[in-house]
Amino acid sequence: MIRYVLGRLVYGLVVLALVTVFVFVAITFIPSDAVDVMLADTGATEEQAAAMRSELGLDRPVWEQLGSFLGNAVQGDFGRSFYTDEPVVDLFLDRIPITLQLGGLALVIGTVLGLVLGIIAAVRRGTATDGAVRVTAVTFLSVPNFVLGLLILTALGLWFAWSPPFVYRGPTEDFVSWAQHMAIPAIALGTASMAGITRMTRSSLLENLGSQYIRTVRAKGAGERLVLFKHAMRNSVIAVLTLIGVDLATVLGGTVILEQMFSLPGTGQLVYQAVLDRDYPVVIACTIFYAGLFIVTMIIIDLLYAFIDPRIRAAREAGR
Amino acid sequence: MQADPAVRDPDRVADAGTPLLEARDLVKHYQIRKGVLGRPVGTVHAVDGISFAIPRGKTVGLVGESGSGKSTAARLVSRLIEPTSGEVRFDGQDVLAMRGKEVKALRRRMQMVFQDPFGSLNPRLTVGDIVGEPLEVHRVASGRARTDRVVEVLETVGLSGRDLHKFPHQFSGGQAQRIGIARALATNPDLIICDEAVSALDVSVQAQVLNLLKRLQRELGLSYLFIAHDLNVVRYMADELCVMYMGEIVERGDGDAVFADPQHPYTQMLLAAIPGHDPVTARAQERGVATGEVPSASAPPSGCRFHTRCPAVFDRCPTEHPPLYDAGQPGRVAACHLLDEPRQVQRA
Amino acid sequence: MSSDVAGSPLAPVVPDQPRSGDRTPPTPSSSEAPPRRRGAAAAWAGLKRFIRTEKLGAVSLALITVFVVMAVFAPLLAPYDPLQQFRRNLTEAPSGTFWLGTDDLGRDVLSRLIYGARSSMIVSVVTTVVSLVLGTLIGVTSGFLGKRKDMVIQRLMDAIQSVPPLVLLLFLAVVLTPSMSSTIIALTIVITPSFNRVARAETMRIREETYIEAARATGSSSLRTMVKHVLPNMAAPMMTMASLLFAGVIIAESALSFLGIGTPPPTPSWGGMLSSGARYVELAPWMIIAPGLILSVAVFAFNLLGDALRDFFDPRLQR
Ligand SMILES: Nc1ncnc2c1ncn2[C@@H]1O[C@H](COP(=O)(O)OP(=O)(O)O)[C@@H](O)[C@H]1O
Ligand code: SF4
Ligand SMILES: [Mg+2]
Repeated sequence: MIRYVLGRLVYGLVVLALVTVFVFVAITFIPSDAVDVMLADTGATEEQAAAMRSELGLDRPVWEQLGSFLGNAVQGDFGRSFYTDEPVVDLFLDRIPITLQLGGLALVIGTVLGLVLGIIAAVRRGTATDGAVRVTAVTFLSVPNFVLGLLILTALGLWFAWSPPFVYRGPTEDFVSWAQHMAIPAIALGTASMAGITRMTRSSLLENLGSQYIRTVRAKGAGERLVLFKHAMRNSVIAVLTLIGVDLATVLGGTVILEQMFSLPGTGQLVYQAVLDRDYPVVIACTIFYAGLFIVTMIIIDLLYAFIDPRIRAAREAGR
Repeated sequence: MQADPAVRDPDRVADAGTPLLEARDLVKHYQIRKGVLGRPVGTVHAVDGISFAIPRGKTVGLVGESGSGKSTAARLVSRLIEPTSGEVRFDGQDVLAMRGKEVKALRRRMQMVFQDPFGSLNPRLTVGDIVGEPLEVHRVASGRARTDRVVEVLETVGLSGRDLHKFPHQFSGGQAQRIGIARALATNPDLIICDEAVSALDVSVQAQVLNLLKRLQRELGLSYLFIAHDLNVVRYMADELCVMYMGEIVERGDGDAVFADPQHPYTQMLLAAIPGHDPVTARAQERGVATGEVPSASAPPSGCRFHTRCPAVFDRCPTEHPPLYDAGQPGRVAACHLLDEPRQVQRA
Repeated sequence: MSSDVAGSPLAPVVPDQPRSGDRTPPTPSSSEAPPRRRGAAAAWAGLKRFIRTEKLGAVSLALITVFVVMAVFAPLLAPYDPLQQFRRNLTEAPSGTFWLGTDDLGRDVLSRLIYGARSSMIVSVVTTVVSLVLGTLIGVTSGFLGKRKDMVIQRLMDAIQSVPPLVLLLFLAVVLTPSMSSTIIALTIVITPSFNRVARAETMRIREETYIEAARATGSSSLRTMVKHVLPNMAAPMMTMASLLFAGVIIAESALSFLGIGTPPPTPSWGGMLSSGARYVELAPWMIIAPGLILSVAVFAFNLLGDALRDFFDPRLQR
């Protein structure tokens, strides 16, 4: 098991290193006059522009830039914001709790609702309830999260003249305000996962229960039905876990747009603002941080897998 | 692998002229690798030093349980895979020394028919395209001429021009196998390797396909390497028989002779499994019938590989690897120490 | 050529006609065999079967046709010039004159919606097609090469996929100057690994099929084998994937425009319309509802199509 975990960590580091390489290869495509564009309105002199280029490392070959970035990175220095001069790590760590709250809430809402609806649809297979659940699922799969957020805002504004708070307050500071602030974006983000998980739970349950379940339901008592159901559920959870892994990227990406819409000062807002400001060091470091976040979570999901199903663990250990 | 004295002299195998195909001391080992770094953790002895020859216009049968290395042998002689060591000659040419174009030219003369009739036909192509593929690949014919040739071979195998535009799934298993045979015939090859070509078919259908293959051999002068795990089938087809066990040929000789009087305990075991096969029943009663599981190909038993299952096992077997001993009639050999015993007795 | 269409006797010469136990897939008997079907004819026949067996798929195709017509014939369909500003009719509610109302600059929402289909469809079609080709190429090559090369290529793909799509798009927005082609390039980078994944898995599966070995034994070159035998056999899952990813691309394109880094204004785009509407949530809700709904319906249509294709191609669900 320890070897398996270590293997996963090494693999994660390799992928993260590749992300870094990708990022630095990509920034060589930044148009050379980017700095001029950046400084256009500031009235900076040509010397200042040159200083900026060298600080950005735009005057050095990629490999050198990459090398110095990695060299600093292992010491915990991922660069500084161009405008505030704050270390990007600090900026990111300050804001990540909000993003994790939002993303976590969204995944919890999506998973719980998805499992419940999926089970209902599977148990009531073929009935109107089943049909309604499935139509709901496909519908919610199709409404982009930011559109859903906007539509909810519009509805609440029109019918109740209510709008969420503008200023973020942490859950310990003012729980009610926090909950009001988080609710709509979390729901908007979570519904797509909900839809996917509903479908997955339904089909996987039906597959695992199969005809055997139907027979037992007819012939045996409730106790045995429960045992069978539990067994099928266990398999379904594995399938659902995979799906959560896939959703994770979407949810993390979704936080960017919803944080912006609902003025939640998370890392999404940080990156977005940095993109608008062309604050390269922030954009670069944050891209890598996001990848790290994703990779770590995927490793956790992988370990959960192994925890839930020892057979998977055995197979993976053998395969690697 | 020890040199095999019986095969050193090819004349002892081939009855007339140079054989069409000759395999000598063919070996194929697969490394089993594990982990990201691909550490080798074992070796599968898929084929371990086999030699045989296919005379022109004749059929050599290859029998043995599943996993004994028959398909690997077929892939080796057609150079679908590279051997670990050994030699293959086709019509006197060194097959293993061939490069790109020569290999392609070889493929034109040496075709294959596979076990799974549907699996070996691309489900997205029409019969015309499937059977016409070799013609296209080897630039034998295109357009109208290709269609004509395809219809011709389709008719040869008992199908017709009407089937040209159908897809494989529209046929029965027997018909599908005929399509596979038609494809093999398209370029007018000299040798066709049939790897379990009828094993997936119903018994009644099997007979029809076997008869077709026999007829084609008579009419076109084809040679076959005929692989099967079913002895009855091979018996019907083969002029000469090679029995394989765990990557080795353990008995070889004239087909009828081997059937009438099997020398190797493994061959006897295979024959005993055929209901109502007398010579073996007699012998089996003498010694008891072999049972048990086939050992792992990555850890073959020492000495005689059959010793873990052999009812006649004795002290030499686990330690000494049996070479192919002469087994009475000319051209008959078997790798069993029992055949060495009488001579030792004589010498004593 | 077409003598086999109908009424032909069950079996011509073939002796082994009785199909007792030997493996016979549940297919129409050979007397119903379709005539030569290639290219357009085959596609047409497949389409008809698809519409017949997949009712929801037919609905999705109808919806998609509407969007394509909107995109192609926008100038004919739109009641007004989408850029024309009716200064006296700012944020006007839907009426007989402006069916879906006007926006904050007095532009006709319906016309902008119709023209918006253009940016959306162009970006999505080009992105999907390019990524499909690229991803297939990479996946098939990687799957065929195997071993170390495969390993390197796949880890690179993992790397791209480990950055959340929208974050990656933001990063690329910094690298590329904003334009429609930049949007397409960025989206292609994001989507290609998904196609690669499916193509590679399919290649690994097909590679083990006997017909691949048969092709090799016949003398077919690697290239020919790939083109003639591997690619056609992975068409089904790739099409399903393309449809589902198309839906994702529509969303991503509008998200980028919403964030102001996609289709640059004043070119009408659904995302851009939503973003200006977001400022008038209570004053002019139609500015949000109209593009929000049409965007969702477009995504819905492609999701539905993907589902229908999946069922259509699923051998376990063969009717
Ligand atoms: N590509 C391969 N890699 C590893 N082992 C293989 C490979 N191909 C065949 N083998 C092994 O070689 C042995 C012989 O296989 P095969 O030639 O297919 O036997 P047969 O055709 O007689 O059933 C088996 O143990 C099989 O598992
Ligand atoms: S050598 Fe020994 S073990 Fe092998 S077949 Fe002969 S008697 Fe049996
Ligand atoms: Mg075999």
